[in-house]
Order: sequence, then structure tokens, then C-alpha cells
Amino acid sequence: MRGGSGGTVGLATMTSPSIGCSGGRRAGCRRALGGLAFLTLLCLACGCAADPAVAPVAESTPAPTIAWFAERAAAAGLSFVHVNGATGRLYYPEILPPGVALLDYDGDGDLDIYVTQGRSLGPTLESATTPAATARTVGTVGGRLFRNDLRVGADGSRDLRFTDVTEASRITADGYGIGVATGDIDNDGRIDLYLTNYRGCQMYRNNGDGSFTEVTAVSGTGNPSGFAASAAFVDIDRDGWLDLYVANNVSYRIENHTVCPGPAGAPDYCPPQIYGGMPDRLYRNLGRGRFADVTRAALPGGIARPALGVATADFDGDGWMDIYVANDGEPDVLWMNQHDGTLRDVGLAAGIAVTAEGKAEASMGVDAGDFDNDGDDDIVVTELTGQGSNLYVNDGHARFRDASASSGIGGQSLPYTGWGTAWIDYDNDGWLDVLTVNGTIVAQEGRAPLVFPYDQKKLLFRNLANGRFQSVGAQAGPAFELSESGRGAAFGDIDNDGDQDVLVGNNSGPLRLLVNEVGTRNHWLGVRLVGRDGRDMLGARLSVVRTGLPTLVRRARADGSYGSANDPRVLVGLGTSVTAPSLRVRWPDGREESWPSVPIDIWTTLTQGSGQ
Amino acid sequence: MTTRGARLTIVFALVLHGACAPSGATSPAGGVVSPPGALPDMSKLAPSVQTQIRERHAALSALVAARPGPVDLANGYGELGKVLMAAQFPDAPEPYLLDAQRQNPSDHRWPYYLAQLYRSRGESEKALAQFARSSTLNPDDVASQVWLGDTYLQLGQPEAAEPRFAKALALQPSSVSARFGLGRAALARNDHRGAVAQFEDVLTRDPKAAAVHYPLSLAYSALGDQARADEHLRQRANYDILPADPLMVELETLLESPQTYETQGIRALEKEDWTGAASWFRKGLALAPESAALHQRLGAALSALSEMGAARQQFEEAVRLSSDQFLAHYSLGVMDQQAGRHDAAIARFSAALLAQPKYPQAQVRLASSLRRTRRAREAVAAYERALADAPDLAEARLGAALTLAQLGRYREARDRLDAAVQAGGEVAPLTHALARLLAAAPDAAVRDGARAMTLVQELLQRGRTLDLGETMAMTLAELGEFERAAAVQRDLITASRQAGLAPVTARLAANLSRYERRLPCRTPWTEDELP
Repeated sequence: MRGGSGGTVGLATMTSPSIGCSGGRRAGCRRALGGLAFLTLLCLACGCAADPAVAPVAESTPAPTIAWFAERAAAAGLSFVHVNGATGRLYYPEILPPGVALLDYDGDGDLDIYVTQGRSLGPTLESATTPAATARTVGTVGGRLFRNDLRVGADGSRDLRFTDVTEASRITADGYGIGVATGDIDNDGRIDLYLTNYRGCQMYRNNGDGSFTEVTAVSGTGNPSGFAASAAFVDIDRDGWLDLYVANNVSYRIENHTVCPGPAGAPDYCPPQIYGGMPDRLYRNLGRGRFADVTRAALPGGIARPALGVATADFDGDGWMDIYVANDGEPDVLWMNQHDGTLRDVGLAAGIAVTAEGKAEASMGVDAGDFDNDGDDDIVVTELTGQGSNLYVNDGHARFRDASASSGIGGQSLPYTGWGTAWIDYDNDGWLDVLTVNGTIVAQEGRAPLVFPYDQKKLLFRNLANGRFQSVGAQAGPAFELSESGRGAAFGDIDNDGDQDVLVGNNSGPLRLLVNEVGTRNHWLGVRLVGRDGRDMLGARLSVVRTGLPTLVRRARADGSYGSANDPRVLVGLGTSVTAPSLRVRWPDGREESWPSVPIDIWTTLTQGSGQ
Repeated sequence: MTTRGARLTIVFALVLHGACAPSGATSPAGGVVSPPGALPDMSKLAPSVQTQIRERHAALSALVAARPGPVDLANGYGELGKVLMAAQFPDAPEPYLLDAQRQNPSDHRWPYYLAQLYRSRGESEKALAQFARSSTLNPDDVASQVWLGDTYLQLGQPEAAEPRFAKALALQPSSVSARFGLGRAALARNDHRGAVAQFEDVLTRDPKAAAVHYPLSLAYSALGDQARADEHLRQRANYDILPADPLMVELETLLESPQTYETQGIRALEKEDWTGAASWFRKGLALAPESAALHQRLGAALSALSEMGAARQQFEEAVRLSSDQFLAHYSLGVMDQQAGRHDAAIARFSAALLAQPKYPQAQVRLASSLRRTRRAREAVAAYERALADAPDLAEARLGAALTLAQLGRYREARDRLDAAVQAGGEVAPLTHALARLLAAAPDAAVRDGARAMTLVQELLQRGRTLDLGETMAMTLAELGEFERAAAVQRDLITASRQAGLAPVTARLAANLSRYERRLPCRTPWTEDELP
């Protein structure tokens, strides 16, 4: 961060004081600030109905005067256009990327950006047509790293600027990039980068001086012959080192490539079942960033399904991290931690592998979060057009109920093929909402002259705090009117102002940066949870204890979504509450600590061992 | 100029005329008639489908110009809408189907197709309205009711769904899809007993309806009956339970494309209608003679019809057109293998595996031919590869063990068979092989007559075969009961003679000679017995 207070310890950023509603979504607005238009906007953000928890946002509600999310990629210097390398041969990997990541690689307190890049595919992964032309289109071919040069004015205003630092970073991601995962593999307090590619993966260790060193071979995480979409860092064995789960997709080779025409003979990409699923891999961190492939012993059953998304959480509350894998067209997997370094798939019995009708759907993106504020992590999974996203409600013991239809998420997402997704509390009202980026995998014939006719709009679902959700994308601003082939999405507070922003990777399209303009109308708590060595403690569980209000449970995570890495910090919406809450943290090693009063509306770093 | 060419010229003129008209013409019924709009980009479609759509478009243009009655006009719009819908254009069919509906509001087909179009686009609310309209116009249509109920369920409205399924069931008491819908609605309302009743009924009427097992498992679990829940969970499988849907079936067969004919042929194959399948594939090949997949499928249909020469031709053509046609390579390999041409078979199976490395059946066949050409070590390796891809494949386990025995590695063979039997599954052939090895292996450390007898007795509970009788005789001889062994062997010889199995009779006679000389058998399998 340039110009901000920065730092990794203590206070990071102060936002403007609270404005707007005093009663939050349930109590309605009691204060009117400014003119009618502004009041309308506030009401949209906070709810003004007598019981807004159940009242839908009216179709006739006037359009907001400002966008809830403003698209600022180009203005912020994020000049990146994804190239999927399509030459008309319809190579399967072309429909999967790009993934995106939010990571503070330089440790200056703000989130930098990594985005994967494609290239032309051919029989030997060489350019099938003209690499020079591709390079002219996108600049240097390969994934890109952008440094966040955020400037915070004295009045709290934000000036977001990004600089392409790929060359200086020495990241040479010139494979066919699909996704990205982030985590500190050697506990040096610097976040490292794992890139999933068509054909193998790459691990980059952060040198701490702005550069990275590729350590794929020495770390033993190359996923040889693999074809991974997503990956997640998670401390499976509670030994204090991040292990690595790699979600492999299909056994595809350019050499066995085929095309699947529709009934009218139009050639199109094939479904994954044509190529067959590929087993995922689990790498155990042996310490200091050296890994052992423990797949055979740790993931029994030889499950080989076309995985796309992965999210980790402690679903049964036993203090050990579990793994949810979204599979395309085959039952999803819920790996439950057996506390001995192994995991066991209980997806079907847990009610989460298939829909309530028993159908295995085309699961893509996934996220775990406590949307109903009952203290456990629920799951949202994005699916194909006509299937609708799925919502699985956790009973606290990792037994799930399919609430896709009853929540409204399923029905309202039926027209969309969802990819990246997350539980985000976009309006900081204390209830997790859902955002999904979308794009079809079947060409929408007739919508010529699109080069890549797989575009759809994004979706934003507002949590009505009664188990139901309302699609409010139409009211969220022009960014939600953009129809693009959305794939990866990463979520985090990019401008450090206390609300969730969104980075969207579009297949064959520009990178999008959706800056949240409404979250700070409510109060918030921002916490970075780090270990003694400065590592972000992925998997740490944060309980926000509020006087007279339900405790909110959130967790530190970078995984989830699709092929993307999120802000590892925890941002909790507090609605109109101005009381500093007490916090309880259960660290990934099972230990617990408390902090009696943590300030709100600023980012705070909590280090393991500094609490009570 | 051909007739089609002449027609298209006229059509083009009509389209131009329509495009230039300032407003729509007036129909005889007094409503405004829209000229057909421009067709969407069809450049990626099969030429035959492009022609089909253009012809319908031209026919509609001509129809509009002729100012027919509203019913005919509706049919013209609707037919174009249908063919565009069959071609899976997401947007293009809608205006034509809406025009059809406007011209003839009493025809249930147009709202039905609109409903299915909206449903395919995930626009459930619009689908709901059109299904409701269709079912009002055609109240006895089961499919409309079922889809209406299904759409309500998608929207999280089980209370609204239930009466629709109930009506469908009243219209067609045997409807499995209606019962399945009632079960799903009950489950969504947490009426778990009601759900169990409906789902069990579905399974009684259609035991293949495997999709029922999962929701049934959920219902039993909610009722606290975990044993039944687990039992049904194990049987879960994907299986669509759909209503009979003649209007949508019509769409599926509407397009004159290689893909449509291929799909129809595959459906015929699934119904074991080999003649019908061959007919569909031939129609597809008439449009796409270079389609390797269609040649392969036609070959499969012809081989099912025992037209082996013609089938072979098709397979040969498939692999000539595309070396990736692993099924064609495989089929040719099977033909060669059955004809005893093992070297040729090895080449075919190897080609199949080159195109599809994870093809355990091809590995097993390859191994068999390798073994028969005295390349037993290579055969074992091929079996190993098959087992790496399909660890439970009994044929591979058995083949690997028998080939090891052929190589004189009896202990390994025994241990593998033992492990395979312990692993469970379809183990009868493996148990039998183990029994025979225990009874007749030349390696004394492997033989165990008592255990062999136990295994044979278990197998006899399931049925009696000549092979098993032979193993029984071997076991008796191993246990020193030569008289009983000889008696059993004589009975077997009589039976094999009656069956006309000369080679078997000769083998049995050779062993009988040993038993009569109080010598046990030391050849578990002769060459001709091995798979």
C-alpha cells in the first residue's frame, strides 16, 4: 500500500464513521441523511420495510443514484485481457480459465492481484497458430502479477492504482493457466503462490523482496500429468504447516481431443465425462515447504471425478479441517478429517453430494460460510443453466439439507451457469449474501457476432435473514449488467475501506474490479489472524461475541470460489452496532484465545498468543 | 436450377419483400401478421440443418404472403419455431412460437413449446405461466401437469406442485413420474412418511428408477430408519424419471442431422432394436459419410445382427477415418481373437489402447491374446494395467492368476486368487479357480485338498457344471479318494459325450486314466481351458 498506514500489526486502515441506518435490516431506517435519492439508496442497502427481513426488494424500487459496485479495473490500471487461445478446435481447457487471486505479496497491507493467462493450444502445447499475434494482443503471454499502490487520502478517500510487476516478480507462468491458490508454505510470513495449469502445476515461493522463485520440483507439488482447476491450502493434520489439496479435473490430452456437436451439428466443447475424471491429490507439508504426495494413503477409494472447485472448513465442528470438492456432473465429495492424516468421503451420507432428487449436477464454484448465523458453515455451489445453484444447510454435525429451492437461490439462478462464488456480506448487515459470476459452457448459437458466445451476467443474492435470498443484481449497478464469460472470482477488501470488493476473471475478456460502494454504510470488524511467525492462519475460526445480539462465526480462508484465491483476512459486517465486540478465535491447531474488546471500522491484526 | 434452388429464389424474394414492408400484413382474422424475421447465424450448423431451417423459413414467408387463415399461419410460425428450438437456439424460436400462439391461442402446443424453451433457459416463472396455459388448453395432458409440478418444485413451492402431480396421477394412474413428483413434494414439505410411500411405490412399479433411492434414503433417514436409509443410499444412481412427452420427442427427431440420427440410433441400440439402430446410423451416414463414429456404431448394430462381414467393413472404415476410434479397434480385435488370429488381435487391441489408454476390457483381451501367443509375461503386465484402471475387474484378476499359473508361479496365482475372493464381489469364477489350483497345482506347497473341497462344496450350492464336476474329481483325487474321483469323472464323460463336447471328453478321459491308476491330477488347466 502506498500512502496508507499499512503494516501487518495493529491498526491498518480507518474508514469513515458510521452513517445511515440505525436499526439495520430488521429495524429499518430511523435516520434520514440528505435528500430523497440518498434516502432511497440507504433504504436499499439497509431495508426500510416494517419487517425487511422478509420483505422482498421491490421490482419498482428506483435505481440507486450510485452503483453498489463500481467497475474500476481500467481506471485502476488493470489492463489485462484473458486469451483462451481458441482457434476453433474447441480444446477442452479453453473453457475453464481464468482464475484470479487477491494476495498481499509484498506485505504492505493491501491486496495485490494475480491473474492466470491462457495461450494457444496445439498437439505439443505449442502455439497452434501465431504466438506473436497472441502476444501482441495481450502483451507478454503468461499470468500477471499486479501490485496494489493504494493511496488513502487524509479524508479517507481511496485512490486505487495497480502496477504490472510480473517481470520483477520473476513469475514465468507460461503454461496454460487455469487457477491459482495462495498460502504461506514455509511459515516465513510471506504468502506463496500455487498455479494450476493444464498439464501440471507450479509452486512459487515468495522471496520477500518482490520476487518469487519457482520451487515446483523441490517442493514436490508438480501434480505431474495432472489437470487441476482449483487448489486449497489447508492444515489437515494440525501440525502447523499448510498442506495442499489439488482438485484435478479430467484425463484430457490434446492428443485425445474430440469435439461434441449439438443436435444441429454445431461443434462445441465436450462435457467432462467424455474424457473421464482424474483423481485429486493431497500433498502433506513436511515442513519448510517440502511436500509429500500422500494421496493414496490419505484419500482412500481412488475417487476420480472432474473436480472444479474446492472449499475447506471444519464442517462438523470437531476442530479438524474438512474438504468439500465440487465435481462437474458427478457427485461432489465431502472429505471428513479422520484425525490421523486421512480423510473419508461422506458426501452422499451427509446429504451434500447430490441434490435432494439424487441428481449429480455440474458443480463448479463453491464456498463455505455461516449464512444463517447458527455457528456452522453452510455450502453454496454454482451449477449449470437449468440446474440452478445449490444451497446446503449444515445442522452443525456435517449433515446437510438441500435448501436450494426453498431459499430461492436455486430458482433464481436457473438461467445461469455459475462459476466463481462466495458468501460475502456486501452490505455489512451481518448476514452473508451470495455473489456469483456466470458464463455458459455451451455456445449460445445465434447470438452472433460474438467471438466467444458464452457470456452471462453476474448474480447478487441478498440474504433476507429468514433463510431466503433475493436476486438484487439488477439494482447493484452497471457492473451487473455486463454480460461476460465469468470464471474465477476473488473476494476481499481491495481498498481497505471495510467492505468486500470483487475481482472477476473473464474468459476471453477483460479483468473486472468491482469496488464496493455501499458496505461501509454499516459498521464492520476487520481482522487479520496470524500465527506467531506471521502466517495467515487459514482455517482459524472467529467468533464475534456481541452484547444482546447473536454471535457471528466466520473463518479465515483463501480458498473457495472457483480457481481463485480470496483475501485471507476476515471481514464481518456489524450492521448498525457500534459496540466493540469481544472475539474468540479457535486456531487451526485447536487452541482457543479471546480478546475482550476489539475496535470496529478498522483493520486489526490478531496474533496467536497475544490474546487471553 | 433445381426445385430447391428455385424455391429458395422465390423465398429470398419473399423475405426481401417482407423485410422491406413498412408494417405487418393483416391476417384474414383481422390480426397483424408479422413477416418472418431474419434467421440467426447458422454457419456452424450441419448443412442439412441449415437447409431444413431455410426451407421452413421460406415456407413461412410464402405462407404469410398467401394470407391464409390463422390456424395455418400459426402452424407456419410454430413449425419454424420448433425447428429452431430443436437446433437449440436459445433466443431465435421465441418470437415464432409467440406468433404461433397469437395466431391460434387455442392450440396447446405453442404454450407447451414456449414453456419448454423458457425452462431450458432457466426462466422458471415464464415457463410456469406457459405450462399453466398449455394445461388449461389440454387438461388431459399428463406431461404438462408433471412439468408444471416440477417447475413449482424448482421454485420452492411444493404446496403448489402437489396438486399438479396429483392431477397427473389421476389422469394416468400408472405414471411413475407423477408419483415421483408427489414423493419429492412430500419430501420438500418434510412429510417423510408420505415421501416414503410414494417413492416405494415408484420402485415397485419401475425397479430401474434408481434416482428414487437417494430421496428415499433421505426420507428414511429423517424417519430414523438408518438401516433402510443406508441400503437405499448404496443403490443411488442417475436415472431420469420423465413423463411420456410426445411433443418433445417430436422435437428430438425433427432435425435432419447426423447427430440426430446418431442419437436415435443409440436409443434404438439401448432398446436392442438392432435393425432400427442400423437404419438410423445409415441415415446419418448418408449425410455424413466421413463420420467415423457413425461407421463404428453401424458396425456395432450390424454385429448384433450377426452380419459380421458388413460389421467388419464398418469398423475398418471407422478406423481408416479416425485412428481414435478405439471401440472400432476393439471390435476388430474381438473379431480377430474369436477367429484365432491372435497376432492381428494384439495389433487391434494395442491400437484401441493407444487411442484410449484407460480401457481395461481392451487390456484383458490383449492379455488373453498375448498369453495365447506364448507371451505370458507380457500378458501378466497387461492384466496388471487393467487392474490398475479397474481394481475390481474379475476377468482381469482371474486372467492374471491363471497366466501366473501357466508360468509355473503357482504360489503367486494362489495368493492373488485368495485376495480376490476375500475382496468380495462376483467371486464364483475366482473361487472356482482357487479350488482347482488347490486341488491340482504341481507345487505341493500350494495344494490344499481339504480347503479345495470346502470351496467346491460352497460352489455346488449355487449350481452344477461340467467344469465344477471336474474340479470335484480333482479334489477327491488329491484327497486320495480315487474311486470316487473316477466315478465322478465317468459321469462327467457321459454328460459331455451327450452334449457333443469332444475335446472336453478327451480331457476328462485322460484324467480318468490317472485316477484309475490312483494318480492325482497335476494339470489344473489345459491350454484350451484358459480364457
